[in-house]
Amino acid sequence: MLAVDAAAERLGLTAGLALAQARAMHPTLTAVPEDQTTDARVLDAIAETCQRYTPLVAIDPPDGILLDIGGCAHLFGGEDKLRADLLVRMTRLGYSARVAIAATIGAASAAARFGDAPIMENATRDARERLAPLPLAALRLPDETVAALTRVGLKRIGDILDLPRSPLAARFGADLLRQLDRALGREDEPLTPRLPVAPYVAEKSFHEPIAREEDVLASVERLAARLKTALAARGAGARRLELALFRTDGAVKRIAAGTSRPVRDPQAIRALFVERLAALGDEIDPGFGFDLARLSVLNAELCPDEQIGLGTREDQIELDRLVDRLSARLGRQRVSRLLARDSHIPELAAAVMPAQAMTRGEFGWDAFRRFRVEAGLSSRPLRLLAKPELIADVFALVPDGPPARFRWRRALHEVVRAEGPERIEGAWWSEKGGPARDYFRVEDKAGLRFWLFRAGLYRDMTPSPPRWFVHGMYA
Amino acid sequence: MAEIARLNSSPAGGHSARIDQLRRQLGALEAATGLAGECSALLALGTPVIDAVLGGGLGGGTLHEIAAAREVTAASGFALALAARRMRGAPAPIGNSCDARNDDRPVPTLGRSVLWIAEDLSLAENGALYGPGLDEIGIAPERLITVAAPRARDVLWTMEEALRCRAIGMVIGEMRPRGIDQVATRRLALAAAAGNVLGIILYTAPDDAPSAAVTRWIIGAASSLDAARSHDVGSPRFLARLVRNRRGPLGTWIVEWNSVEQRFELATYSEPVAGAAFDRPHRTAVA
Repeated sequence: MLAVDAAAERLGLTAGLALAQARAMHPTLTAVPEDQTTDARVLDAIAETCQRYTPLVAIDPPDGILLDIGGCAHLFGGEDKLRADLLVRMTRLGYSARVAIAATIGAASAAARFGDAPIMENATRDARERLAPLPLAALRLPDETVAALTRVGLKRIGDILDLPRSPLAARFGADLLRQLDRALGREDEPLTPRLPVAPYVAEKSFHEPIAREEDVLASVERLAARLKTALAARGAGARRLELALFRTDGAVKRIAAGTSRPVRDPQAIRALFVERLAALGDEIDPGFGFDLARLSVLNAELCPDEQIGLGTREDQIELDRLVDRLSARLGRQRVSRLLARDSHIPELAAAVMPAQAMTRGEFGWDAFRRFRVEAGLSSRPLRLLAKPELIADVFALVPDGPPARFRWRRALHEVVRAEGPERIEGAWWSEKGGPARDYFRVEDKAGLRFWLFRAGLYRDMTPSPPRWFVHGMYA
Repeated sequence: MAEIARLNSSPAGGHSARIDQLRRQLGALEAATGLAGECSALLALGTPVIDAVLGGGLGGGTLHEIAAAREVTAASGFALALAARRMRGAPAPIGNSCDARNDDRPVPTLGRSVLWIAEDLSLAENGALYGPGLDEIGIAPERLITVAAPRARDVLWTMEEALRCRAIGMVIGEMRPRGIDQVATRRLALAAAAGNVLGIILYTAPDDAPSAAVTRWIIGAASSLDAARSHDVGSPRFLARLVRNRRGPLGTWIVEWNSVEQRFELATYSEPVAGAAFDRPHRTAVA
């Protein structure tokens, strides 16, 4: 048995007991098999709920959550109140929890799991006194080390506190001393938060949970107004924002939105979330309402002070706003700009990038135009298929010439005119490079124009017939 | 409307005063419905014959429909060529961000940016726009913003948003004709008039549904010069059928896109202007 609940504990059962033995003692026992993935997921959900107290939340597997509440406890009326609030919240969610507050991760973890004093003073002396009666396992040591220590009669932390350090290290490994030092605050232990910490955060809690979209948007605007002051003080603007809505039942909804230029105007930020909320629709299930809203700036950039009345520049701002609105509604990847890339392989020569990520510029097309003139580049199609499509029934008059007719998507095309070939080498330096291609620009009887290629050189083809593809279409 | 078309196509010049009067009346009526934008910025095709039929060109804040006769590439080429004409005359975009801060130079406008929206399905079937190919027919790829919309509904929503944005010069929305009702096109027409932006719905197949668009075109590919004269593939060439025109008569032309001068030219060799059906290649008609 890995864990027992309170009722089982009263019956005298403990974790570590064999299930058969426990069943022999209490035949009516209910046993649930262990499910580590679900446990991890539940722990993560609880950690998400705890995110309301501090941005610095870390998971301490398998059953612990660490909160760095340095500097935030007073927001909840002190450490006592915070602890009480957390306990109430956990109880309401149906979990039993043990909460301890201490100056170090080690001490807090030891106190929560093995101790009875909920809050430890910051002083090291106090930590020593509190930790001394706890078993050595509280130091988060490997089982073998604890077993080895037990064999020589060292059972409690107090037993090793005053022992000479070097023999201890020599016999039980440096780990033991490090864990001890960390618990006592002699050595720093960093906390790795489960989510990156945003540089700018504003939050508001509601006595009466809110559920309506207008209320959410109104609070977004209020929070954005508060962020604006902080952002303006450093001359920064937000490029990526996240709205976290904490539901009363512990679930957290996170909604991210991006912008194409740094913004700090509350109205503009509100407008972004209007689209995001519209796009998400019913996915935002308010349940019994949200009781905390937090707006964080995930990415901030320097933003020159507002320029007003520069005429044409307003168009630019208008355009950026449109891009932001569309990106918020449809998704960032769906609103794009076309980029020229320095590659001779057709599908790599042009790239599509999110318009929000692209700062103004010519996106490499000037260089492309120079290259096209200098190299005398052959004609390129207006539309390129994502993947070249195999064509059938290809019949060529000359073995390595253009096809005289071909079948594509079940329609037979009779080629009337053809230009080519343009030989484009594959990326021979790469294993996935593929063979060289001979491209032809052909026009069929109806005037439809295609960009075809034969994969591989003709002389390498025999005896197998060459494979032909449609890669693009011309206007 | 039919009456005007008939009047306009009749050669009698004496009617011209009457026609002008009718046009003014029609304009006033349309202005009242909010469907006619400020027609100050007409987009001429560059072909006098066609421009005359259109009454000078496509109006600035109006909605137009272009349907693909068969392959959508030709129709999209036609729409993008219109976009190229729209971009023309607009100053070049800002070279880099440093220049933008230089106050000595006038900041160029991107007011002639073009938004191109396509449904995912259509992108998968007909391919995405290819920058080098765009550049080749004279459309600056840096002026283009492309949007891939999951459904036709999203294409319509995006078009409406963009049409209301005065920083956009032209909006092209590519989708299948199914399920686009008159209410939807009317919304778009109103948005176009509000933002004074030229809107084009690019249908992947011809459609007869009623719509609020000012003109409806069916664009197909046309063969290059006579095979006897040249074996080379020439400039983009379109068989353009104007099948609906609120402001004038209809017509069918074969036009060639001149990417250097950025204008449409009537094909110079003889073609059966009448009865050029798509199922009957016109080469046989010539012979």
